Amino acid sequence: MKSETDFTQPSVAAEGVVKKFGTFTALKRVDLTINQNEFFTLLGPSGCGKTTLLRLIAGFESPTEGEIKLMGENIATLPPFKRPINTVFQNYALFPHMTVSENIGFGLKMLGKPRAEIAARVKEMLALVQLEAFAKRRTGQLSGGQQQRVALARALAPSPRVLLLDEPLSALDYKLRKEMQVELKRLQTETGITFIFVTHDQEEALTMSDRIAVLSAGEVLQVGDARAIYDRPADRFVADFIGEANFIAGTIESRDGAQHRVTLDGATLSATGDVDVAPGTAVTLMIRPEHVQVSTEASANALPARLERTVFLGTDTHYYLRLHNGEPFIAREQNRSAATAPLEPGADVYIVVDPQSARLLKD
Amino acid sequence: MSETPEQSQDTRRRWLLSAPAILTILLFAAGPLIVVLLFSFMERGDYGGVKFGQFSTEGWLSVIYTKDIFDDSLVFADANLAIFWRSLKLSLMTMSGALLVGFPTAYFIATRPAKSRNIWLFLITIPFWTNLLVRTFAIMDLIRNTGHINNILIGIGVIDEPIQMLFTDGAVLFGLIYVYLPLMVLPIYASLEKLDLRLVEAGYDLYANRAQVLRHVILPSCRPGIIAGCILVFIPSIGAYVTPRVLGGGKNMMMGNFIELQFGQGRNWPLGSALSMTLLFIVMILLIVYVRQDGKKGETDGH
Ligand SMILES: Nc1ncnc2c1ncn2[C@@H]1O[C@H](COP(=O)(O)OP(=O)(O)OP(=O)(O)O)[C@@H](O)[C@H]1O
Ligand SMILES: [Mg+2]
Repeated sequence: MKSETDFTQPSVAAEGVVKKFGTFTALKRVDLTINQNEFFTLLGPSGCGKTTLLRLIAGFESPTEGEIKLMGENIATLPPFKRPINTVFQNYALFPHMTVSENIGFGLKMLGKPRAEIAARVKEMLALVQLEAFAKRRTGQLSGGQQQRVALARALAPSPRVLLLDEPLSALDYKLRKEMQVELKRLQTETGITFIFVTHDQEEALTMSDRIAVLSAGEVLQVGDARAIYDRPADRFVADFIGEANFIAGTIESRDGAQHRVTLDGATLSATGDVDVAPGTAVTLMIRPEHVQVSTEASANALPARLERTVFLGTDTHYYLRLHNGEPFIAREQNRSAATAPLEPGADVYIVVDPQSARLLKD
Repeated sequence: MSETPEQSQDTRRRWLLSAPAILTILLFAAGPLIVVLLFSFMERGDYGGVKFGQFSTEGWLSVIYTKDIFDDSLVFADANLAIFWRSLKLSLMTMSGALLVGFPTAYFIATRPAKSRNIWLFLITIPFWTNLLVRTFAIMDLIRNTGHINNILIGIGVIDEPIQMLFTDGAVLFGLIYVYLPLMVLPIYASLEKLDLRLVEAGYDLYANRAQVLRHVILPSCRPGIIAGCILVFIPSIGAYVTPRVLGGGKNMMMGNFIELQFGQGRNWPLGSALSMTLLFIVMILLIVYVRQDGKKGETDGH
């Protein structure tokens, strides 16, 4: 562990990391830089390699190719117990033969810290996770949420440079999960430790993260903050995985900078995207259901459609529409006033999209 | 309290159902023990056996005292106490030795890939397939003065004279460890196999090196297995008969041999019975002390 901190270095960097298990490639060339003091989230479906990447950073596995760097230094040869990185495990992995206090103090004890210092730090950690009353309990006698907090306190007690959290909230019920999300975010801000957080819950990722990396089948598809990922997804997978999206096939008609005119289904829409394609190329448009308005009147930048079903949900109304080429389209509108009634099914309507909300995707 | 007819019928049925179990216990566990206890309080028969109905504490007295042949005064039976002590010492050493060898063995097996574990376990149990006596004589053949080990050592010129290994406490210890090792390995393996490997990783993650993980994570987790193994090895070795007889010769007796002597050549059944009961009490007291201590430790740990 180095004492002086170089703030220009990224906290953790993966450079060209490949991980193979036998013939199976779990990670295919992952490049990531995670900044100091950042709440960084790895988001992706089950089996995409999130845990594998965390295990590489923690040191339980070593990369087949590439380097893992901590503060600019290659840590490939360091065993896990020499890395100033702690993990909150997916299943907590608390030591069943120790009390809550002993669990929390374990890391410091192994580091050979004096007893008084350990005791003080354990007390501090117990207060932080509000478990003072449970100090002498065995971990088996705790609820899921309490165990989760012990795991967190245990990993934070040695003041690591980086904290790895592998789906720590997945076993908790909805309300507790919400509370813990706020709590975790607060802890991260207060301690200034880099958090690398794994989840497959997109809402959780959007709520907590400074930046998110979306993974699929061992590849990083996009890295960015919540808005970038949600509003400007890099490809169809990301758009589909995070939030709901309508995808429509179209053809480029003309282009002006990032603005494109796209013809689809007889209509022409203005759309935004960084894709560099010539007129005449087939593309896909991504439109979020809540970014459109359903109107009975024709206007510029609108798609004609037929309203098939209307679902009134109190705060929202969901419209199930069908475009003239037969493709389905979903729109969501907020019910802002009790005075306006939702549109009736069977009507011929127009889906109005502003150019920023119609996103061009690479195919 | 008055019982309804159904209730009393229910009770009766329960008693009937458990009768075979109770009968078995009475017949095969408590029964023989009671016989031994009764024999220990009877007058010794002239040619072995006991004189029924003649009460005597002679047997029990001779466990600790022996009559001076000249004036019939009682003196401490040093020889008996030496045998007790040797039995206790050897069985504790057997237990420790088996633990020292058995734990790494069990750990080795438990960390093999699931497929090959059964093969290793199988190898561990193979010695059980041959008779104990045969195995013990095989050891004898290895370590006696004209045995293979001495022959080889002399052959390659390491020693000139054979080393006296047979008929020593060391030989008995070696034989006991060899015989009871599987009883140590199997329970430890069973608890190691259940060990959550993620706990081991958590240990490494929290700055514990290999030795510290072994000490603070793995050992405490398989404590029940270690305890079971120790008890399983200790109890049969303190009463061992064949191994000390064959490898220890006539002089290095353990309690098992001493007891046998009373029922055979010694023709002193009451003493033999009293000695058997003494052995039983020693084991029982040690176990009770142990369980008590273990319970206390659990409490202070915050159980
Ligand atoms: N030790 C291993 N040996 C072989 N394959 C493995 C090993 N560990 C992981 N894998 C494979 O690598 C892939 C990625 O696994 P990983 O555990 O990283 O997924 P994950 O993204 O964490 O999924 P989840 O959300 O379900 O936890 C999976 O297909 C898994 O089967
Ligand atoms: Mg995982």
